[in-house]
Amino acid sequence: MTESPRNSSSAADCGPDCAAVLQRLWEFLDGELGPEDTAAFHAHLSLCNKCYPQYNFEKTFLDALAACQCEKCAPYELRCKVASALKSAGFTPVQPLA
Amino acid sequence: MAPEVAPNPDDRTDYDHSFEQEALPWLDDVYRFALSLTRNEADADDVVQETYLRAYRSWHTFERGSDARRWLFTICRNAFLRTRERARHQVETEDGDVEALASNVEQADGQRGGDERLLARLDLGPALSKALDRLPQPFRSAVELVDVEDQSYEAASDILGVPIGTVRSRLFRGRRLLQSMLLTYARDAGFATAKPRPDDAAPSHP
Repeated sequence: MTESPRNSSSAADCGPDCAAVLQRLWEFLDGELGPEDTAAFHAHLSLCNKCYPQYNFEKTFLDALAACQCEKCAPYELRCKVASALKSAGFTPVQPLA
Repeated sequence: MAPEVAPNPDDRTDYDHSFEQEALPWLDDVYRFALSLTRNEADADDVVQETYLRAYRSWHTFERGSDARRWLFTICRNAFLRTRERARHQVETEDGDVEALASNVEQADGQRGGDERLLARLDLGPALSKALDRLPQPFRSAVELVDVEDQSYEAASDILGVPIGTVRSRLFRGRRLLQSMLLTYARDAGFATAKPRPDDAAPSHP
């Protein structure tokens, strides 16, 4: 959902009202709603210029959170320690671990 | 569909090869999760080593075709709890204390109108990474698992050993805390002059 909503007047006519959408916005963004609710939320957000900015903000926030994972990788020293510990336990790698 | 089988412990080549292919690629993910639990790099290193040793020794119990990362996260959490018990070191704040903290932060944050635009002006990456490091348990684990490691509520529930409702509650409060921290950062960074619009809608997450 990347387009801005076109109008707001009929948003609540085709499914959940704004309070219900805002209440469960994170569950919607997390993909935790069932197919019917998901479709209803999509329909509402595509029409509602009250809820859409909140949706856009929360999505930006969650996208930034998801991107945090790129910044933290296991250090080389830890890879060496894990490789050494596994070899001591009998593990024989095909490829070098570190 | 043919049933998935566990790695054969009598076939060391197959056992080691499948472990290498399915478990080792998640080392970075396990490290991040361990770091979220321990909040300390040295302790995270120990937990990761312990996790992989346990995983290797138990690899024959892993059901091929299932989610190896989820399986490793569960082992990681158990390894962390065992380490914590051994050290008698209370890392995780009691839920009640942290719930009170979260509540205070949310109340102190007050009016949220205009916050969306304030945060939108920030370069979220670095600020968010710092805020995540400061996020207290048990919120941090829920946020790390769902938001950073892309686990479902159900998977996070299994890994953390708590009901889905608890995951949801911790996750939502954790996100609200992060947003509050980001707002503080934004104001400290000189964005305090942003005035809220009267018609800004405050989100009503539980």
